Amino acid sequence: MNILLVLIPVTSLIVGVGVWLFFWAVNHQQFDDLDSPASLPLLDDDQPVPASPAEPHPTDPP
Amino acid sequence: MNGYAAWAHPQLAAQVLRPRRDGCSEIALRVESLHDARQVLWLEQRIRALPGVRRVAIDRPAQRVRVVWDAQRTPLPALLESFAAADCPAQPLPRDSIDDARAREQHQALKHLLVAGMCSMQVMTYAFVIYVGVVDFVDFSTRSLFRWLGLLTTLPVVFYSAQPFFAGAVRELRGRRLGINLPVALAVLLVFLASGFNTLRGSGEIYFDSVTMFVFLLLAGRYVELRSRHRSGALGDAAIDAAPLLAQRRRADGELETVPAIALLPGDRVHIAEGGTVPADGVLESAGAQVDEALLSGESRPVRRARGQRLVAGSVLLSGPAELRVEHSGATTVAARLGALATRARQARSLIAPSDREIGRFVARVLVLTALTALGWLLVDPSRAFEAAVAVLVVACPCSFALARPAALTRALGVLAARGVLVTDGKALDTLARVDYALFDKTGTLGVPQLDRRAIEPLRGDTPEHVLQLADALAHESSHPLARALADAARQQALPLQARSVRVHAGAGISGEVDGRMLRLGRADFALAPAGHPLPADADALVLADADGAIAAFHLAEQPRAGARRLLDTLRADGIAIAIASGDHESRVGALADRLDVADRYARQSPDDKLARLQAAHAEGRITLAVGDGSNDAPLLAGADVSAALASGTELAQSHADLLLLDGHLGSLADARAIARQLRQVTRRGRRWSLWYNLAAVPFAAFGLVTPWLAAIGMSLSSLLVVLYALRVGNTGAVAPADVPGPPLRPRELHA
Repeated sequence: MNILLVLIPVTSLIVGVGVWLFFWAVNHQQFDDLDSPASLPLLDDDQPVPASPAEPHPTDPP
Repeated sequence: MNGYAAWAHPQLAAQVLRPRRDGCSEIALRVESLHDARQVLWLEQRIRALPGVRRVAIDRPAQRVRVVWDAQRTPLPALLESFAAADCPAQPLPRDSIDDARAREQHQALKHLLVAGMCSMQVMTYAFVIYVGVVDFVDFSTRSLFRWLGLLTTLPVVFYSAQPFFAGAVRELRGRRLGINLPVALAVLLVFLASGFNTLRGSGEIYFDSVTMFVFLLLAGRYVELRSRHRSGALGDAAIDAAPLLAQRRRADGELETVPAIALLPGDRVHIAEGGTVPADGVLESAGAQVDEALLSGESRPVRRARGQRLVAGSVLLSGPAELRVEHSGATTVAARLGALATRARQARSLIAPSDREIGRFVARVLVLTALTALGWLLVDPSRAFEAAVAVLVVACPCSFALARPAALTRALGVLAARGVLVTDGKALDTLARVDYALFDKTGTLGVPQLDRRAIEPLRGDTPEHVLQLADALAHESSHPLARALADAARQQALPLQARSVRVHAGAGISGEVDGRMLRLGRADFALAPAGHPLPADADALVLADADGAIAAFHLAEQPRAGARRLLDTLRADGIAIAIASGDHESRVGALADRLDVADRYARQSPDDKLARLQAAHAEGRITLAVGDGSNDAPLLAGADVSAALASGTELAQSHADLLLLDGHLGSLADARAIARQLRQVTRRGRRWSLWYNLAAVPFAAFGLVTPWLAAIGMSLSSLLVVLYALRVGNTGAVAPADVPGPPLRPRELHA
């Protein structure tokens, strides 16, 4: 039964780390938008990302 | 893009910017055209690439964007121009609409839920060891160790996760009422204290697993409800922002331009049409006018204001057009008052707290039942009293009963907002479901008047353009649908004339001085009254006349409004009596009523006639619905059991209506009724389920056949089920699936 004395603190530690990680994620707005990031990989690579001049985007409606 | 340059003015900027401690500014913007997630991401990338931008949060359902940025590096007009350059024009919103509460509430709830979930799993493993009994005979001290571990792991659940219940119970006690939080808090605290005491003592039952699971499942139910509420809120906000208060500002050259009311500056001259809302505090510069300040003061009688007196923002102009010189704008109080309509709509959402008294009675009975159970067992077998009492308390807790209505109603309001129906009164939906008499206004409601150039008939040899120009000068001053149609037809005119000393005669026409002549525009009998001429043969035309007789006749054609047919067919299929009452001429009312198959029609009705008709129906015990548009209908809308107005109409009509149809589509009222009926059904069924469940479970609990952990599972699952069931509102085939809004989208926020 001495193994309990090791395992119980280990499980508590895992729970603690899990809660800490989750709090970090919530505080950094990771759960606010669960839909848009799904389409992130679909974005074309050749898009004008940084401060490009105003040219209309092909998918934008007028 | 020069339209944005005005936002550089510090007084304007102060209305929309919220300064932050770190020297940055924060702004909330409304954007129109966000169609898919790709566009959201693309827009976000573009805005983040601007110099000085710290954070961009795009909330697609609410059509809102929040930007935190350094206004020194990118001025506000430049920011707005970047939105426009990205094909996504943005309109700044007043700064008090920047609201963190929703996100904070959701983060809190998620954390409470997770801590409860993690800890309850942990407690369960400890409890399992004790249940199975492996340690019982082996090692007594190990058993005690597991009990202590259970106690320690339950602490965060009781003192962190269960906080909302304790806070709610304290609030309920302070308000001297019985709510659903009280029995929950009582059960959690009692079970925890008793188990803790038994742990310290080293003997007796412990229920740490029950209490943590109870808290976790209840929080899960509440979290589902919270998310649905927030999403409805976001959709409602989008609908509210979509109708910003506009003002007609007079430029230096005397022309009128339309600007948002928050963009007005002191010293600006503003023109307000009859039926319009006063956009800012200011001094009346034209002759006297009657205003309705009911939205601000609650005083429903019209107030007279003379030249030089002050008009208060948010009041509604009842008679005649007015000229206003703006004195204040920008004061937050004024901005807040301008949002009176928006506030009313938001209140409808907060008013959905269920019938408190009903729940109070329910809770009182539960507490009495718990006490009786405890007493009974104390007489029979004191050792089982506590367990049975706790089981009764938990099983009978009316959580699902209390959640059924708010969950269904928030969902219904959200679905309706997405379809362009804004509900300003929470009770209106209940009434709408029971309506059996519907009275429609014709002009501007069921029919849309249109003026064709060829339908202009000059009677004294003028050109059609000239008479249209004269008529437009008068028509511009009224918000009546016929006048709007005339003004629309005249829009291409080069130089609009300006009318002076204009008076609007409700239900008849407009009179005023144009080009030095006194003109009258309206129904033939009104327009020709001073001339004393006989009426022309075609009496249903709109006539322009001066003191000598008719100048021109305008033959406006009338088309049924989009969705009118569908709405009337749906209402008829439900056995609702339909009537049309209009101030218009018989032949025109008849023509439209024939096209829509309405037999019950009344022409030449004054506003009082319409109201009398409605009241007669009400006196017969019918539940009345009034649908209207235009200032003539205000008393009608106010007098009906439930009223709907097309929001393209005047603000006056809006301020008296329970339901606003924002997209000018009557069919959405049919959807609203379908959803209202579904809401009633879902609420009733949810409540009936929870009542039966309670009735069935309480006797078992009272006789000690239900252990506390079983009671906790049953009770929390029942409330979760009721919430999930409530989310069915607006989902089934009762309404066309084509208009169902897209997948839920949440605000996104990333750091630059």
